[in-house]
Amino acid sequence: MDAAFLIESAVKVLIVLGFVLLGVPLIVWMERKVIGHMQDRIGPQRVGPFGLLQTIADGIKLFFKEDLIPGQADRVVFFLAPALSVITAFVALSVVPFGDKVTVFGRDVPLHVADVNVAILWVLGTTSMGVYGIVLGGWASNSKYPLLGGLRSSAQMISYELAQGISLVSVILMTGTLSLAGIVAQQEHMWFIVPQFFAFVIFLLCGIAETNRAPFDLPEAETELVAGFHTEYSSMKFALYFLAEYANMMVVSAVAISVFFGGWRGPFLPPVAWFLIKLSLFLFFFVWLRATFPRLRYDQLMAFGWKVLLPASLLNLAVTAIVVALTG
Amino acid sequence: MGEAILFTLFSLSAVAFALGMVFRRNAVHCALHLVGVLLSLSGMFVLLHAQFIAAIQILVYAGAIMVLFLFVVMLLNVKGETPLLTPGSAKGFGFFFAFIAFVELLWIVVSQGGTEGEPAPVPALPPNFGSPAEIGKILYTTWLFPFEVTSILLMIAVVGAVVLAKRKFA
Repeated sequence: MDAAFLIESAVKVLIVLGFVLLGVPLIVWMERKVIGHMQDRIGPQRVGPFGLLQTIADGIKLFFKEDLIPGQADRVVFFLAPALSVITAFVALSVVPFGDKVTVFGRDVPLHVADVNVAILWVLGTTSMGVYGIVLGGWASNSKYPLLGGLRSSAQMISYELAQGISLVSVILMTGTLSLAGIVAQQEHMWFIVPQFFAFVIFLLCGIAETNRAPFDLPEAETELVAGFHTEYSSMKFALYFLAEYANMMVVSAVAISVFFGGWRGPFLPPVAWFLIKLSLFLFFFVWLRATFPRLRYDQLMAFGWKVLLPASLLNLAVTAIVVALTG
Repeated sequence: MGEAILFTLFSLSAVAFALGMVFRRNAVHCALHLVGVLLSLSGMFVLLHAQFIAAIQILVYAGAIMVLFLFVVMLLNVKGETPLLTPGSAKGFGFFFAFIAFVELLWIVVSQGGTEGEPAPVPALPPNFGSPAEIGKILYTTWLFPFEVTSILLMIAVVGAVVLAKRKFA
């Protein structure tokens, strides 16, 4: 482990962190603008050109708001929960390859923070750790609605994690590797969306449920639970939950791109540009969904996860296994 | 060098979290400390070149099983534990089991590690040691029987849970 490797890793970590921290305000701006236009409004436009600085202004506002902690709250866990949410989202991005090898100062630098041979398990593991942030936030507030929201979300995330994992297993069966860089490397001639279309659909649906986005945003259903797990959170702690939600959208999109859409591969443009284009399209899709679909009822959500998605993903896995065994 | 630093870090945090788990009064805090222990152990597994086990440790134990633990603890809203034994007998049992554990450890140290001279050389790891493919191969050849027995055991547990849950409402 030489000094150059340490510096290289540190720089890459900083780049990924900065990318997420700068990207999230942009996504929030895009969401407000796009939903605004879809609902025949104009969206933010006052702060900066096209209202681009609106989210920055909102962030600064949240910084200076009073930080309320409920009197009966468990103070340590109340602090820990939003931090856990953010950390798990950031850590998951460390294994996603966002470009081909580049040569900097005569060194071959692969464009991902770490190429671990169990990358997919790592992403699944960190997202499952993300459940803690929400459950603990709901519990530590020591208040009715947050607790209900937290319990809902943990049940929802555990249920959908299963189908999500199994849908990824069918791709792993085809590639024989758990490394995201390895999976991207095998998509030179064909994106895996073609042979594994059903796995992709299942993965995407589960991804939306995992990130608690509409139409699966049951944990914070405002008409029945005030604001769900983050009801008691204010100021920067609320901002951290907000950040974590959008960072998690990035994680799901980045994994979907790497596994099903050839990662950074694409003609003419440089690899990083392709990665960013695909990422933006995915994030737009998330926003589009939110503007289009009403929220599901809780029992519908659980029934859909266990009775539709899980059997479908198992069936897809069985078919893939048979095909792989026959063609070998 | 780096490995030694990381090992110290992970082992210290594992011990600290384990102590916290035992001595904390609040059941949710105990569960969280146990998660800390599991995460530290997964760091140790990476140091032992067992990345697959490390990832599974996070995914299954810290990410799934402990979440369910927490779920139950939160739903039951355990205020304080009701002691199963009187303080005196608990102390007696504690000393008894601690003594047995001490004798066992002493036995291991005396029977194996107590010899003088050089420690046995560390055998070189085979290529791809700890990779998912290698673990899969071993699991489905050498250890196939225990593996299948375990899966049947888990199946029995699942069926048993369903039967018990159904009986209550019938």
